[in-house]
Amino acid sequence: MEILNYVKKLEYLQLTRNLNKCVLTPILRCASIASKRDHNETETDDFKPLNLRHVKGQSNIRRPMRKIDALPPRTQQMAIDQDWGSVWPGPRTFHPATVPLPLRQGYVKKGETIPNKYGNAELMKIPNFLHLTPPVIKRQCEALKKFCTPWPKALDSDEKCEKHFPIEVASSNYCHSSPSIRDPLSRIITVKLRLSSLKLDKHAKDKFLRLVGERYDETTDILTLVTDRCPTKKQNYDYAMYLITALYHESLTVEEWEKLKSEADMEYYNWNDSKSKINVEKIFGKESKNISHIDEYSESISNLMNEGKQFFYLINLYA
Amino acid sequence: MFRLNNTSMFRSFFRAPLSTATEAIKSVEAAAVELDKLYKTVQIELRGNDPAVLTSFVKFATTAGNYLNVQSHSWHLRKPTHTRFTVLKSVHIYKKHRVQYEFRTYYSFISYKHLTESTASTLLEYIERNLPEGVALKATSVELQQLPEYLLEQDPEQFTDDSNKVSHV
Repeated sequence: MEILNYVKKLEYLQLTRNLNKCVLTPILRCASIASKRDHNETETDDFKPLNLRHVKGQSNIRRPMRKIDALPPRTQQMAIDQDWGSVWPGPRTFHPATVPLPLRQGYVKKGETIPNKYGNAELMKIPNFLHLTPPVIKRQCEALKKFCTPWPKALDSDEKCEKHFPIEVASSNYCHSSPSIRDPLSRIITVKLRLSSLKLDKHAKDKFLRLVGERYDETTDILTLVTDRCPTKKQNYDYAMYLITALYHESLTVEEWEKLKSEADMEYYNWNDSKSKINVEKIFGKESKNISHIDEYSESISNLMNEGKQFFYLINLYA
Repeated sequence: MFRLNNTSMFRSFFRAPLSTATEAIKSVEAAAVELDKLYKTVQIELRGNDPAVLTSFVKFATTAGNYLNVQSHSWHLRKPTHTRFTVLKSVHIYKKHRVQYEFRTYYSFISYKHLTESTASTLLEYIERNLPEGVALKATSVELQQLPEYLLEQDPEQFTDDSNKVSHV
């Protein structure tokens, strides 16, 4: 009987211990936290106790996200008569809130609407000219005008230019995005000279043309020299002018061996200087002037020699 | 006939700090002696991969020319040039399967007529500074020059040679 009582006592104790563990402790803790919180609230509000053991039900109070309201686009505040040049002063990527134009851009399928300017990558990709509107160009050109000089009025036509300035010097400058600002092609100089401006006699002109060769164009009477062998533009220009000078003075001189020029070396066939004339005179025994039909004969001979035995030429002549 | 070269004067003033007054005077004199060159034409060739950008730029350049009192006219090439190159689709095998890439280059031209050196350098500088990205510019200028004096006067010695010259042709 005693033992049973003892066991019952033990069981009761255990029960109370369990009960204590399950129910009482959390209640007590909650009560203590509540009392502490009340105590803290009276002193400082911001200090939170460090709670290592997470307890259900207790959650951190999140602060609400502060919303930043986007400003309305600047275009709504723009005056109608504003100075656009100061709104968009330089080259810049397209910005929808700054450009007061109802733009639409982009490729869409059939039936869809073209996307508008907001968040439109197609409008941002292409370089725009919004900083170069006509009034801005006019304003900038007015400012630049003081560095310009007018073209002389005496040289208003091309003929006058050609008459007073027979030499034309052409060269190029390049402006592109490359690692170097020096383009090797900019060294090339093209000098064009009107040959009639040089005072050359018959012999000198003949010699000049023989020296120049392919560089002379008969139809326009222009000599073209292209110099690109020197590394700089200045050197090439100097070389071209040296060439012209050397050609001119060389063509004026008459060398000893030039006297040996024979009939075969002539530029074109001249019947009056030819052996054919001597032979004809020898056959007829009189001067060529007095021979009948001599003009037609000399003409056809010199045509044949100068033009060659071209089929169509002969057909036209004798048909 | 000629005007002083405004830009060169402008440049010479700001080039280097001049130590003495005499040096400054000398530089001004040198600038005053320098005459403007005359350009018959300044031709501008533009290359780009976007024809819309080229047309806009041509419009800008001709407008700028008009405001600076320079005659200009412009034209385009109707078709772009296609530079193609073909490569293997795979890294190094499967020779049957290839991809082809191409560059399309569009061309535009502007021709300015009758400019002095000052005008030409001002205009070109203005245009080149406003060149949009992805556009290449080539400026060909044709300068007018007088015949140098040593080509105008003939050597007296060579005239004396004419007497014993053989008749040619």
